Amino acid sequence: MLDSLFQLLFEYRPVVFSQGELRFAAWTGSYVAALVALAAIVAAVATYRTSGARTRTRDRVILTTLRVALIALVALCLFRPVLVVKAAVPQQNVLAVLLDDSRSMQIADHENGPRSAYVRQEFGAADRGLLKALSDKFMVRTFRFSSAASRLDAEDDMTFAGAQTRLGAALEGARQELAGLPLAGLVVVSDGADTAADSLGSSLLALKSQGVPVFTVGVGQETLARDIQIGRVSTPRIALKGTTLMIDVIINQTGFAGQDITLDVEDEGRIVGSQAVKLPSDGSAATARVRFSVSDSGPRVFKFRVAPQPGELVAENNTREAMVDVRDRREKILYFEGEPRFEMKFIRRAVQEDPNLQLVVLQRTADNKYLRLAVDGPDDLVAGFPRTREELFAYRGLILGSIEAGAFTGDQLRMIAEFVDRRGGGLLMLGGARSFSEGGYAGTAVSEVLPVTLDASAREPQLARLTVRPTRAGAAQGVTQIAATESASAQKWTQLAALSPSVTTLNRTDGIKPGATVLLTGTDETRRERPVLAFQRYGRGKAFAFTLQDSLLWQMHASIAVEDLTHEYFWRQLMRWLVDGVPDAVEPQSLTDRVEPGEPITLRAHVVDSDFVELNDATVIAHVGRPDGSIADIPMQWSGERSGEYFATVPSAVAGSYEARIDAARGGKIVGSTVAHVRAAPGDAEFFDATMHAATLRRIADQTGGKFYAANATHGLAEDLRYTGHGVTTVEERDLWHLPIVFLLMVGLLCAEWAYRRKVGLS
Amino acid sequence: MTPARRSILALVALVLAVGATATWAQDFGRRRRAADISPQNIPYDGRFTFVRLRHGGAALGRGEPPWAHDYPRAERNFSRILEELTLIKPHLQDSNVFTLDDPELFAYPLAYMSEPGFWQMNEAELAGLQQYMSKGGFLIFDDFRGEHWSNFAEQVRRIIPNGQLVQLEASHPVFHSFFDINIAETQGYYGPASFHGVFEDNDPAKRLMLVANYNHDLGELWEFSDTGFVPVDLSNDAYKYGVNYVVYAMTH
Repeated sequence: MLDSLFQLLFEYRPVVFSQGELRFAAWTGSYVAALVALAAIVAAVATYRTSGARTRTRDRVILTTLRVALIALVALCLFRPVLVVKAAVPQQNVLAVLLDDSRSMQIADHENGPRSAYVRQEFGAADRGLLKALSDKFMVRTFRFSSAASRLDAEDDMTFAGAQTRLGAALEGARQELAGLPLAGLVVVSDGADTAADSLGSSLLALKSQGVPVFTVGVGQETLARDIQIGRVSTPRIALKGTTLMIDVIINQTGFAGQDITLDVEDEGRIVGSQAVKLPSDGSAATARVRFSVSDSGPRVFKFRVAPQPGELVAENNTREAMVDVRDRREKILYFEGEPRFEMKFIRRAVQEDPNLQLVVLQRTADNKYLRLAVDGPDDLVAGFPRTREELFAYRGLILGSIEAGAFTGDQLRMIAEFVDRRGGGLLMLGGARSFSEGGYAGTAVSEVLPVTLDASAREPQLARLTVRPTRAGAAQGVTQIAATESASAQKWTQLAALSPSVTTLNRTDGIKPGATVLLTGTDETRRERPVLAFQRYGRGKAFAFTLQDSLLWQMHASIAVEDLTHEYFWRQLMRWLVDGVPDAVEPQSLTDRVEPGEPITLRAHVVDSDFVELNDATVIAHVGRPDGSIADIPMQWSGERSGEYFATVPSAVAGSYEARIDAARGGKIVGSTVAHVRAAPGDAEFFDATMHAATLRRIADQTGGKFYAANATHGLAEDLRYTGHGVTTVEERDLWHLPIVFLLMVGLLCAEWAYRRKVGLS
Repeated sequence: MTPARRSILALVALVLAVGATATWAQDFGRRRRAADISPQNIPYDGRFTFVRLRHGGAALGRGEPPWAHDYPRAERNFSRILEELTLIKPHLQDSNVFTLDDPELFAYPLAYMSEPGFWQMNEAELAGLQQYMSKGGFLIFDDFRGEHWSNFAEQVRRIIPNGQLVQLEASHPVFHSFFDINIAETQGYYGPASFHGVFEDNDPAKRLMLVANYNHDLGELWEFSDTGFVPVDLSNDAYKYGVNYVVYAMTH
């Protein structure tokens, strides 16, 4: 609209004014005319001065100014102002037209038709539409692009099935292919939904340095009228079989405000979790927390799905996939208990039926007297608590019961801290007469790791009876899910809070460290809140504080039914969380679990020794099992960027699942091994955030000296391209004296003077 | 058991014997009547508290009900030994007595019953004890002999209908949880002692749910360990069994 108005008044496209240089093509008559104009000005001034008896000074000044301006404008036109512009010589320049061939162009949000219809209509043939307008002036080279640009030979080559949109790669590909030719510019016709991981910056910089402008045409709407999209799903990369996951899912929507929908989680077509969600106001995102258990081992692809709603423009973005490597193995946890007490027995009972947890117990029964339970061999822990890092780091979780700090050497306390910080293990300290401040941990290396602050002066245990409930943050964690459903869990916590006698603590652990999260809180007899379960991440691992001394009441209490699994649920979930994500000596670190078929798979692994010190001189081999059953042994190289990081690139020629077994050895001794899974499969990324991204397209144009056009406003594109100043150009002079705006200005000044004269009574 | 520990045990028994002779002199030779037994239970606080089960057996001719034999000196003496030898911090002067259907019993996962030969249960008590054991409670049966066995076995069958009372082998962990006890060397209070139990799901690899000291009376030996009127070796052995039972119950 503005463009049209501008062109009506100024005759030329704005680009002519922005690119052109203002000059005057004066001739002899111009100077004569200037003298005449000067005389006319003097006469006008003199005339208005003599009319002083009938007018005020201000009126005379205004009238004189209007008359002088009119004479000056006429005189200016007689000097023949021109714009000197460099215009592309017709058919002497190459113009690259890049057409988006990705799947998102199938979305039907352009004038009730698919975006692709616009592309076919305007660029399908050289004798129609915008392509004809461009072809009249340029030698047009047409490309189609999704993940990369390739020449388009025929309209039928456009399939709009590309799984990615990589604008940067497409621009760079076209630039390189047309290098050496007189390139007037690039025209990109796209929705701008770039799915590339890397930024556009480097591609734009190359174009900018060569002065090649990019003109972008945005196809589609900036907001979809009716759409629901699974925006983000955060799942763990690895989970222990049988673990209950609580996953937060962001749901974006427009056009469905207030509607009730159901979010389902599917595992191989089987619904394993569901959550009802009420959608908020348009444009606002809903956060849904869905709970499900991972019951089958191996690489599992979970689908988070909202059923397509009536009138939705894009159904594909209602489902998002996430791969979780579900491991079926026994995670070893060391539980060191400093005094015989029933709490240990019931914790042990709670997890003994869990096939994925091995709770090794070192029970101190008297001074220097230990009972060992569930050890692997007769020599395990025979000398008491581990004295070397290698021995301690063999465990993935560590529980300290009612055991005082004085039971450890200084080095053992540092080892425990390093177990969390360096080894990445999970530490849990339980409440008791000999733990936390009462156990003398204040000021030790272990106190640094714990999520609660310790008071060095608090050494005498003090009994407090607590009413326990989950905090808001705790309710979002699987550990507080102590019944089959979320609502049943909430009811169960209400039941537990009403127990009499209630659970108790002996520890005054009121302070929480910055960054720590309280998951369970308890109210004592004085109505004071005390943390019951708190955790924080520390270094590579995590630490928990559980301050109760008798969670066994959640099992034994008379009001708890025999078949009630509250206590078991709680401890299994807590111990699984304790060992969740604890790294092995060789740990896969792939950035993505999926690549497009044909794209290379980049494998990364972090390698440490038994003391969890990074190794840069290990021999690391990836044995990659391909979908066709063949296996390739690919050496992995130290990246040189970070200690212990190795990488290798694997081609994914065939679609399917790739399993890489990564073995690391050093000096002929095996360090460790791990397994990583990557899928080569087409993704639906094209349908996520699939609105027309005008900002991206505008940025491309602005940074390269081009211009952005909406698809329905491209009539000036061909003309604008003539004045990019790039390629083979000729200099053109464009007269300005005859512009409609000049005529309108003259008429306006005349009318203004006449009207003012009438107003002041001079006519 | 190391010589040092044996010495400590003997010393403790000796100290107890000297210090408590006067107390014993008041009680020994005259059994209390049932009316005299009025247990003062203490509120739950998470510490180990010796729990005695009060069952409905009739009072014997001596005037004391069977459940109360050796109460409360047996538990007091035993609790002191427990504190001396282990890192358990039990209540020393206080103990609890609960009926079999008392909801408060459930907060204490170990309970002791004396004279199970006279043990009778109504339906509420039966249900209470069944729940207690199913959840993880552990029972010690003590002070019975001869024909008492049949009543004891009958009541156990009522609690655990499919449970099999089996004689425990010397290698069972309950005899090695703290002291290494050779049951073959144990002299019973009433004759050759034997030790019996029921395993969870009748699987010896699983938890022992109860232990019964047949032809033996640990409680009596605990009660009179400080009098000098029972042999020190017998008292020492009785304490070893008691300590092992408690440590086992806390760890299995």
